[in-house]
Amino acid sequence: MAEAAAPILAVEGLSVSYATPYARLFALDDVSLAIPRGEVLGLVGESGSGKSTVVLAALGLLGEAASVSARRAEFDGRDLLADAAALRGRRIGVVFQDPAAALNPALSIGLQVAEPMLTHQRLPRTEAYARAAALLGELGIPRVAEIMQAYPHQLSGGMKQRAMIAAALAGEPELLLLDEPTTALDVTIEAQILDLLEGLRASRGLSMLLVSHNLGIVGRLCDRLTILYAGRTVETGPTAAVLAAPRHPYTRGLLGALPRPEARARRLLPIPGALPDLRSPDPGCNFRPRCPLAVAACAEPQAMLPAGPARRVRCHRHALVADLPLLLDPVAPSRPSAAAPLVDVEGLTRGFGGPTLLRRRRTRVHAVDGMSLTIHPGEIVGLVGESGCGKSTLARLILRLLPADGGRLAFDGRPVPERPDLAFRRRAQIVLQNPDGSLNPRRTVEAILRRPLAHFGLAQGAAAGREVARLLELVRLPEAYRSRYPHQLSGGEKQRVGIARALATRPDFLVCDEAVSALDVSVQAAVLNLLQDLRDTLGVAYLFISHDIGVIAHIADTIVVMYRGHAMERGPADAVLHAPHHPYTEALLSAGAARQMRLVDTAPSGAGCRFAGACPRKLGAICDIEPPPWREASAGHRILCHIPVEQLARPGLRPGPAGARRPQTP
Amino acid sequence: MGLYLARRLLAMLGVVWAMSVLIFGIIHILPGNVAYAILGEYATPQAVAILEDRLGLHDPLPLQYWHWFSALLHGDLGRSLVMDRPAGPLIFEALGHSAILAGSSFLLVAVFGILLGVHAATHRGTAVDRALTLMQLGFIAIPDFFWAILLILIFAAWLHWLPATGYAPLDGGDLLAWLSHLVLPVFVLSIGLIAHVSRLTRSSMLEALESRYVLAARAKGLPARLVLGRHALPNALLPTITILAIDAGLLIGGVVVVETVFAYPGLGRLLIFAIDHHDLPLLQAGMMVVTTIYALANLIADLGYALLDPRIRVGAHA
Repeated sequence: MAEAAAPILAVEGLSVSYATPYARLFALDDVSLAIPRGEVLGLVGESGSGKSTVVLAALGLLGEAASVSARRAEFDGRDLLADAAALRGRRIGVVFQDPAAALNPALSIGLQVAEPMLTHQRLPRTEAYARAAALLGELGIPRVAEIMQAYPHQLSGGMKQRAMIAAALAGEPELLLLDEPTTALDVTIEAQILDLLEGLRASRGLSMLLVSHNLGIVGRLCDRLTILYAGRTVETGPTAAVLAAPRHPYTRGLLGALPRPEARARRLLPIPGALPDLRSPDPGCNFRPRCPLAVAACAEPQAMLPAGPARRVRCHRHALVADLPLLLDPVAPSRPSAAAPLVDVEGLTRGFGGPTLLRRRRTRVHAVDGMSLTIHPGEIVGLVGESGCGKSTLARLILRLLPADGGRLAFDGRPVPERPDLAFRRRAQIVLQNPDGSLNPRRTVEAILRRPLAHFGLAQGAAAGREVARLLELVRLPEAYRSRYPHQLSGGEKQRVGIARALATRPDFLVCDEAVSALDVSVQAAVLNLLQDLRDTLGVAYLFISHDIGVIAHIADTIVVMYRGHAMERGPADAVLHAPHHPYTEALLSAGAARQMRLVDTAPSGAGCRFAGACPRKLGAICDIEPPPWREASAGHRILCHIPVEQLARPGLRPGPAGARRPQTP
Repeated sequence: MGLYLARRLLAMLGVVWAMSVLIFGIIHILPGNVAYAILGEYATPQAVAILEDRLGLHDPLPLQYWHWFSALLHGDLGRSLVMDRPAGPLIFEALGHSAILAGSSFLLVAVFGILLGVHAATHRGTAVDRALTLMQLGFIAIPDFFWAILLILIFAAWLHWLPATGYAPLDGGDLLAWLSHLVLPVFVLSIGLIAHVSRLTRSSMLEALESRYVLAARAKGLPARLVLGRHALPNALLPTITILAIDAGLLIGGVVVVETVFAYPGLGRLLIFAIDHHDLPLLQAGMMVVTTIYALANLIADLGYALLDPRIRVGAHA
């Protein structure tokens, strides 16, 4: 193919380093990649791999502190290192990770989209705005005239990202750089954005570089993958081949660590160890301290070796990688518990806001609206739902950290009062999402772990010291860590300390509120395994909260799906993960169903189903008017929907038109 | 937007009213007889009786407050005891002088504070930035009366370029004399505040320059001028506006030291005069005027916020 011979972006031997006060930091070390015209290249790596540095280097936006060198860095034959300033925004467009941060809060959406046309094409104002409006419409934004005048804070996350993409396309680029474009978005929105990008690629003949840590999304969009580890490319090849049979131990490890609904009975295989120190790069293979295949010869510098058609891999033992196990043995199924429920929640409700002196018409928004839930001793209940569905509020209500407006809460058979006693606090603990924010940076690990022991009067002096040792052993941290401060720990280690702190009081019940969401996949797998082991050895019950149904599917015995403050579906994990599904669960589980969800930006007003506005399987007016019934799909598996179970059992996917599919406006 | 303004206005009126209670109350709650406090401890009983009569001190406190406050609302600021003239014209004449001083200082502070701050932020780490930082810290740390005395020594006593103290009215037609009396006090008043405002603008500007939206603006290929002026500055100015509002209040009420050192006939000196001579009605009226101006400055700052920040200007839903 002639086009393949002249890639639109060709980078060879790109190296980037920063001068820091103590040592030089090598962010990228001899990175090569190429994007053939009209193709999508996925650049995959975990935090610290240098993938965002590649994007900024291509744009010439690394700043003065960075020293950049490359044997070749060309965009359509032009030298990128010299001409980046003339290319960015014109021929190269960018979409950054978090649209809430990347859109300017002080400027209207219309201006931010029209800006490149005003500056680069020197269009008159009215024409630039007309084109911006047309572009927003093309990207599926409803009520364009209104949105043009709106400011970022008035838009939902999905709409913001559409506006960002519109701004990136405004300069009519040939190459789109996408830096974690869906990471900050809900999975259903993510599916729609990926769909949109797929359509744009076809309709505009765009080439793309999709940077992501998520192997799931690159698989959907990319023709080829390049895997980055600690500043070096380790593997590159066609997407399907790389995902089906990875040739580098790291790629293999990433796949093994990824929790997936379809393999929920298997134990995850985490990658041991942590990212190497980028200040003193290993001249040999830098993955070798974490690699199960490492031998003495790995200390030699590694070249990218050919490994099959159009594939290259930086590993001299790549032939052996195929024999590595991808998943460990199946885990023992959890014992069904016949005991009385440990946590019994009925009709818990909590709202925010409401009429005030000056705003009499403001209505109270119900974050949690009549949630019921039971958790048995030793049971893991997974609560899944997207941002804003009220799952964190529910967690705080169950721990009585937030007063409820109404509903009943019983723990171990006794009602829990509004201000619970110390005994309840000891028995019910929480692990929070962000260990950086929840560990006091001025205290050592030992002080952090001794605090609950002292507060609940559980142990003192030498006994407390022994308890700290026991806790560190439980979460598999070395004894020497007791004198460390949080900033001396990696993300996964910090979260282990957070778990150890929650376990210090020997609780019966643990709320894990997005406890693994901030962690990289390879680390997340280890923490998930740890939590599973702790349940098996200590018999602790969990309420495990996550937006990621893959994680929930992996760990939970029972799953509750939550949408806008209310449960939509509940039941044993195996039942919930297989049809019949609630239409919302279906959207969470399948990108195909998610892309048929409608865009909604207003709360439902009537007494009908909360999901009616977005539902791809909406029956009609009945969904808006009448509250849906709970339907029993199988023993203990219940779905809140007007659609009969038999019909829900059939997939709701309508065959969609190929290419970009515009979401329907409400 | 309308609701926001109404709330800010209501809050401002509330603050002014609460301050009126405080200003009135503090003077009357002080132990001892108010008339003796004014006349001194050797006053004759007859003089005390006459004064108490004149000030209505025999009435119950709430009634006294009501008389005073309703007069204020009708524009009657009371009568200076010492000068035996209505306090209003006295205060407003002095306020006029102070406003010239404070107004020109405020202009300098706003313009140079923001310009120097932005310049330092965009030239971070350069020699200019470091020199500015050093100077800023120096001007913040060293009190203004030190500069006042030093400058008088240099420019008035030694070089004879400028008058040391006083004020030349403009109606004499001598613009040069009027200006020459303003140079030193304005310089002393603004230098510390410029340092302060530019420090703050520098750090908020740096924060804006490191934000994702500025990175996104650069990635759009916008020229540096637009990135700076359109994308970074409006966001960076929000904290600066808060400080400028506080400074505006400080400049009106806090010129006491500078006016005293330069013997400048402004509101600050009038208040000092009222305190020295136990002129309670004048003091109360003066303090009310300062309070009101301070509150107004804050209201204007709230307006400025609304102009720069659409999250305040427009509601949450499109």
